[in-house]
Amino acid sequence: MRIFGIDLGTTNSLIAAMDGDRPCVFEDPSTRAKVLPSVVAIGPDGPVAVGDDAIALEPQLSSGHESGGGNVAVVRSVKRYMGLGGSEVAPEDQPRYAFADLSGPVVRFKCGSRIYTPPQISAEILRALKTRVEATAEKVERVVITVPAYFTDGQRQATKDAGRLAGLEVVRLVNEPTAASLAYGLEKMAEGKVAVYDFGGGTFDISILNIAGGVFEVLATNGDTHLGGDDIDNALVNWILEGLPDSLKSERHVWNTARHEAESAKKRLSEVDQTEVTIQLPNQTIRKKISRSKLESIAIPFVERTLERCSLALKDAKLAPSDIDAVVLVGGSTRMPVVRRSVADKFGREPLCSIDPDLVVALGAAVQAGVLMGSQQEMLLLDVVPLSLGIETMGGVMERIIHRNTTIPTSVTENFTTAVDNQTHVDIHVLQGEREMARDCRSLARFKLGPIEPQPAGYPKIAVTFLIDANGILNVTARDERAGREHSVDVKPSYGLTDDEIERMLEEAIDLGEQDLEERLLTVARSDGEQILAALRKQLGEWGSLVEPDERTSMEDAARRLEAAMEGRDRELISRLVEELNHLSTPFAERIMDAAIKLALEKRSVEEIS
Amino acid sequence: MVCDQCGAPLGAELDCFAALELPKKLRIDSQALEAAYHRLGRRIHPDRFSSGSAAVRSASLRGTALLTRSYRTLRDPVSRGLYWLEFSGQKLGENNQNVPPELAATVFEVQEELAEMRDAAPALRAGFREKIEGRRAELEDSMTELKSQLDANFAAWDASGEGDHPELMVSLKGILSRIAYLRTLIRDVDRELENLKAA
Repeated sequence: MRIFGIDLGTTNSLIAAMDGDRPCVFEDPSTRAKVLPSVVAIGPDGPVAVGDDAIALEPQLSSGHESGGGNVAVVRSVKRYMGLGGSEVAPEDQPRYAFADLSGPVVRFKCGSRIYTPPQISAEILRALKTRVEATAEKVERVVITVPAYFTDGQRQATKDAGRLAGLEVVRLVNEPTAASLAYGLEKMAEGKVAVYDFGGGTFDISILNIAGGVFEVLATNGDTHLGGDDIDNALVNWILEGLPDSLKSERHVWNTARHEAESAKKRLSEVDQTEVTIQLPNQTIRKKISRSKLESIAIPFVERTLERCSLALKDAKLAPSDIDAVVLVGGSTRMPVVRRSVADKFGREPLCSIDPDLVVALGAAVQAGVLMGSQQEMLLLDVVPLSLGIETMGGVMERIIHRNTTIPTSVTENFTTAVDNQTHVDIHVLQGEREMARDCRSLARFKLGPIEPQPAGYPKIAVTFLIDANGILNVTARDERAGREHSVDVKPSYGLTDDEIERMLEEAIDLGEQDLEERLLTVARSDGEQILAALRKQLGEWGSLVEPDERTSMEDAARRLEAAMEGRDRELISRLVEELNHLSTPFAERIMDAAIKLALEKRSVEEIS
Repeated sequence: MVCDQCGAPLGAELDCFAALELPKKLRIDSQALEAAYHRLGRRIHPDRFSSGSAAVRSASLRGTALLTRSYRTLRDPVSRGLYWLEFSGQKLGENNQNVPPELAATVFEVQEELAEMRDAAPALRAGFREKIEGRRAELEDSMTELKSQLDANFAAWDASGEGDHPELMVSLKGILSRIAYLRTLIRDVDRELENLKAA
C-alpha cells in the first residue's frame, strides 16, 4: 500500500504519490484541479465544505448586496494558527475570525454554537484530500505531510494531531524547502550548494542545502512562520479601502470582497503592467487603478524581510551568495516579478522555477514517501532543527543544549540532580529560541522527573536524554543512573492538545451511522497488531540469523497470542500484547542496527579492493 | 559536558571513532569522514525503517543520533581534540592556568580597546572600528597558527604508539586552552563590531 505525500499549505493543499519513478499529483475528479484551496466552511451541524465549495459560501458583496454568511463560518489560512496559543495571534488576524477563546494554550474558533481548534479544521482539509484519492478506489492510510522548515515543535505537533484527527498515520513530517529540493534533485535539475527560496501564502522559508551523490544535506535554514502572500494581500486591501470608515472596512462582506479583488489583481499584475479593481458597496462604488509598480512598492517591505532571512541563513552556513550553485523558487508568491528580480539580485543568478512552484512541495513529499517505501536507496535526507533548544537554568537563563541547524536526528544527554534533601521531583523547563533569557524564548514543555526516592541533596543522578527525531520533534527519556533503570517523565506541553482532548475530538468527529467509538478503537488496535506482525515477519526473514533460538520461541509465542487476540474484541489485550512483542524484539532490533552498519563496512572493503 | 562551540556532547562513554568505523587516528581526511557518515547513515537512518516495528524504529533513531553526534564531534579539529582529552580521561582546566602570559596580555589589551570604542563619541567610532578590524585580522592569524599547531600535535599522536604520552597531552591541553581564549575574544570583538554597525 502506497504512502502518500501531502502539502498542507496556507492557501492551497495537494496530495501526490510516486507513480513508477516519477511523482504525480492527484486531481479533483470533477474539476481536474490539482490544488485544493485550504478553506473550510463550518455550519451549525459541523463542517459542510472544503475548497472551492467553501469559498462559494464566503460572505461576499454581489451587486452591492450581502450574500452568504449567515450561520456558516468560513475559515481561511488556518495554518497560521496551528500550534499557537491564543495570546500569539497576530493583531491583524484578529478581526477576521470569530474566536471563541484566546486565553488558552490552543486557539479556538467559534463556528455557530460549536468550537473548533486549528488541528480539527486542518483535519477537514486532509479528509478532503483523502477522499480525492479514494475516488480512484485506493485507500489512504499512511502519509508524509510537509511543514515549513521554521515551524516550532508545537506547530509540528499540531500538524501531526491534524493527521491523527483525519484518521491518518503521519509517518513523517518533511520540511517544505527540503521536499522541494527532492523534487528538483530527482530530476537532477539542481546539484551542489542549492538555496531553496520558499515564499508561500502564510510562511517564508529559506534553506541552504548541499546536494551531491544522492545526499541532501541541509546546511542552514531560516524563515518566518508569519510572512507570506497573505500579508501582501492585506496591505493591498488596506490601500484599496483607504478612506473608508473603519466600521465599513471591518465588515466581513466588504473585507472578503476586497481581498478577493486584491488577490486577483495581484495575480494579473504578474502578467500586465496595469489593472483595475471595482468594489460595489451598497451606497458607493470603489474603483481604483493599480499599476505593477504600485503593487511592488506595497510588496517590497515584505520581500526585504525575506532577504534578511536569506542573509542570516547564508551566515549560519558560512557561505557567500556567490558560493551558491543554484536557487530554486517555491510557492505561489514567487510568481511576482518583484520577487524574482530581488532573488536574482541577492544571489547573483537567475532562479530556477522549472517545476511549477505550486506543485513542487507536494511532488517532493511524494518522493520522500517513495524513500520511506524503500525505493531510492541512494537518497539520504539530512535535515536540521531550525531553532536552538535549551533548558531554563538558575536566574532564568536559557542554556542551549542543541544548537540551531544541528543535523537531525540528534540527541544530548544531561545529568540532573536534586537541590535539597529528600526532593521528590525535578522540574525541567524546555525552551526553543535564540535569546539569552528564558522569558524571551518560546516555552516548549515542562518535564517532571519523579518520584525520586528520599536521598540527600545532590546524590541522585538522573540522565535525561533530549532527542530530536527526524520530524524535528522533541522526545525526552530519563534514566536513573544509580538504580540503573528508566525513569518516568511526566510531560506537560506548553502549547497544543492533550491526548484526552484528541480522543474526545475523535469521538465528536464520528458521524451517526458510522461505527461507534469502541469499534473505531478496536480497528486501530487491530491495525497496530497487523503492523508489528508484518514488520517482525519481514525482519525475521531478512535477519533471522541474528535471533537466538529461545528468543525466537518467545517472540513466536507472543505473536501467536497476539494473532488469537486480534480475532477477539478485547482491544486492551491486543494493545498489551503489541507492547509485549515490541519489548521482546528490542534486543533483536539492536542487533539489526549493528549488522546494518557492518554491512556498510563490508561494502567499503569491497570498494577498496576493486 | 558539552562543547560550548558546537554543542556536541563530549564523554568517554561515546566512542566516536568506533561509531564511524574509523581507526583511532587524530588526523582525519574530511572527505573520508563524510563518506563514512553518509554510508552508515544510508544504512541506519529512520527513513529506512519506517515500516519496522517500534523497537527497530527506536533503535534506528537512537543509533542515527549517535552517528550524527560522532560525526560532528570528529569533523571539527578543535572538538575532536577536546573529545580526545575526555576520552583519555583528562579535562581542560577550569582556571586555564596553562595560558601563556602574552596571550593573557593580548586579551587584556583588546578588551580595553573594545571598551574605549564602546565609550567613544559616535563621531570617533569609525576610527576605532578600523583599528579593531585590524586587530581582528591579527587574531585570525593567531588562530590559524594555533590550528596548525593542533594539526602537528595530532600527527605526533598518530606517529607514537599505544599508551599514555604525557608530554603530548600537556601540549594538547595548552593548544586547546589558547584556542578557547582566542575564540572567546574573537566572539567579543565580532559582537562589538556588530553593535557598531547597528548603531
